[in-house]
Amino acid sequence: MQTHEQETLEEEGGPPIFKSWNQMYAFVLILHAIIIVLFYLFTHAYA
Amino acid sequence: MHLLDWIVMLGTLLTIVAYGVWKTRSVKSVQSYLLGDRDLPWWTIGLSIMATQASAITFLSTPGQAYEDGMRFAQFYFGLPVAMVFLSIFVLPIYYKLKVYTAYEYLEGRFDLKTRTMTAILFLVQRGLAAGLTIYAPAIILSSILNWPLTPTTLFIGVIVIFYTVMGGTKAVSVTQKQQMIVILTGMFIAAVILVFQLPKDVSFSDAVGVAGKMGKLNVVDFNFDLSNRYTFWSGMLGGVFLFVSYFGTDQSQVQRYLSGKSLTESRLGLLFNGILKVPMQFLVLFVGILVFVFFQFNHPPVHFNTANVDNLKGTEYESQYNQYSEQYAQLNEQKELEVRQMIQAMRTEDDATLTAAQSRYENIHQQENQIREEVKELISTQNPAAKTQDTDYVFITFVTTYLPMGLVGLLLAVIFSAAMSSTSSELNALATTTVIDIYRRSLAPDKSDQHYLNASKLFTILWGVTALIFALVANLFDNLIEAVNIIGSLFYGVILGIFVVAFFMKRIKGSAVFVAAIVSELFVIAIFTMSNYGIISIAYLWLNLIGCILVMIFSQLFSMIRR
Repeated sequence: MQTHEQETLEEEGGPPIFKSWNQMYAFVLILHAIIIVLFYLFTHAYA
Repeated sequence: MHLLDWIVMLGTLLTIVAYGVWKTRSVKSVQSYLLGDRDLPWWTIGLSIMATQASAITFLSTPGQAYEDGMRFAQFYFGLPVAMVFLSIFVLPIYYKLKVYTAYEYLEGRFDLKTRTMTAILFLVQRGLAAGLTIYAPAIILSSILNWPLTPTTLFIGVIVIFYTVMGGTKAVSVTQKQQMIVILTGMFIAAVILVFQLPKDVSFSDAVGVAGKMGKLNVVDFNFDLSNRYTFWSGMLGGVFLFVSYFGTDQSQVQRYLSGKSLTESRLGLLFNGILKVPMQFLVLFVGILVFVFFQFNHPPVHFNTANVDNLKGTEYESQYNQYSEQYAQLNEQKELEVRQMIQAMRTEDDATLTAAQSRYENIHQQENQIREEVKELISTQNPAAKTQDTDYVFITFVTTYLPMGLVGLLLAVIFSAAMSSTSSELNALATTTVIDIYRRSLAPDKSDQHYLNASKLFTILWGVTALIFALVANLFDNLIEAVNIIGSLFYGVILGIFVVAFFMKRIKGSAVFVAAIVSELFVIAIFTMSNYGIISIAYLWLNLIGCILVMIFSQLFSMIRR
């Protein structure tokens, strides 16, 4: 059975810069993780 | 303020408003007015979402918070990108599929009319009161620092916002927010650059960051799990996701922003754009506060930043005492500057022993300074017991008005006003939309013409705008009004969130169960608050958000089981 999301995705198509929305979400979350790591390094570099 | 600053400030603000009104001159239908024809691209949606969340207080308070407490506040936003992904996956497709105008409209399909109406009314009470404070809070700070009279400052913000929100509806809000956000980000970036250039010639940017680090101000991430510590990685990730899912998913002032997207794809990209940019933006705003902190190590700050409080001491029996404190504070600042310079020299030569000794002496002076600042606050309270002595909100604006070059003062004031207007316009727009769609058109006057609802939408925008403005104008007369509004918000917000959580994730629960559960939960929340008020129990009112939400979930399940 299809979820609402899957049905709508078929109508709307994928995101402009990745093949699927899952890849787009992963990109946002990985980028966020990288930012937090950079903040952590920044905190420790000047502590 | 110089004439050039007036020209820059008024020119920026009025150009944005004129552009917004001109751009939305063709709005002729209620769909156009409330949903902006659903034709907005993702970058407009993303900037609009950011502008709605960032009020003037964000840009006045946050640098002051960094000045006082370092950068750990950035962690408060760590849950936001996760919340944006969550909403994009689970919530946005549902709203799009049902083609709703408001978040509460969805509740009728999922539950029933009475649940929809009750949730809409709870939102209207809570947001209607908050809209006045969004205007009042920056007006009181700007009028204190710039010696502007409070009433015209409040009216200036309120009347302009009401004007363009009434004229163009949602589209005017989004279009102006895009420009306002560009002004805000540009202004803050320029402020950061100017701060670096205004450091003494022998102090580099690297020295400045090093000094801030040695004073414990660059504490962006803290992985220690400590429930008593308000800002840690864990509180940001756990509490933050919960908070931001509820704010962005159920508050109409945000929902309306992304529902005006051209397509589901554009709305999703707008939310994700916010998820990517929000944390770095908060970092920038906090970093500006850090640069202000370093700047004031070499340029002596006032002993108290709220000049209105200081002016009230003049000509009273406390003036000479204040002058003494002020002189002592200035002397300590000179000593402190010497220690900072020693620290910089020691960092350059990697002389750890000298660095530690200078740091220790600095700490000692800093403690003495803090003590003097507290004494001054006490003096202010003695002279006027009603005075607000917390002055961190005044740190950044003091730097702006005292040290920025001519023209840039006007630009930074435009930043503050833009932020105030962008968040207020979203609130008024959401209040009018909810009133028309969820109450007026649904229950009071169904089956009228499109023109009738368009006129009603404009009329309700004016009514909510005037209500907010009156509230902002009288806010100064009541000491505890701001706290009262925050408390009222917490009394309702948890229950609203609870209803949506049940709607999205507890699929077997029906309308009557959640309706009764919401009423019972609200009574419980009010009872807990009342008992806490009388000292029978001790629960901070912010916890009422979480309690309200959980109670709705538990009672809904319980009532649903009983009915079966």
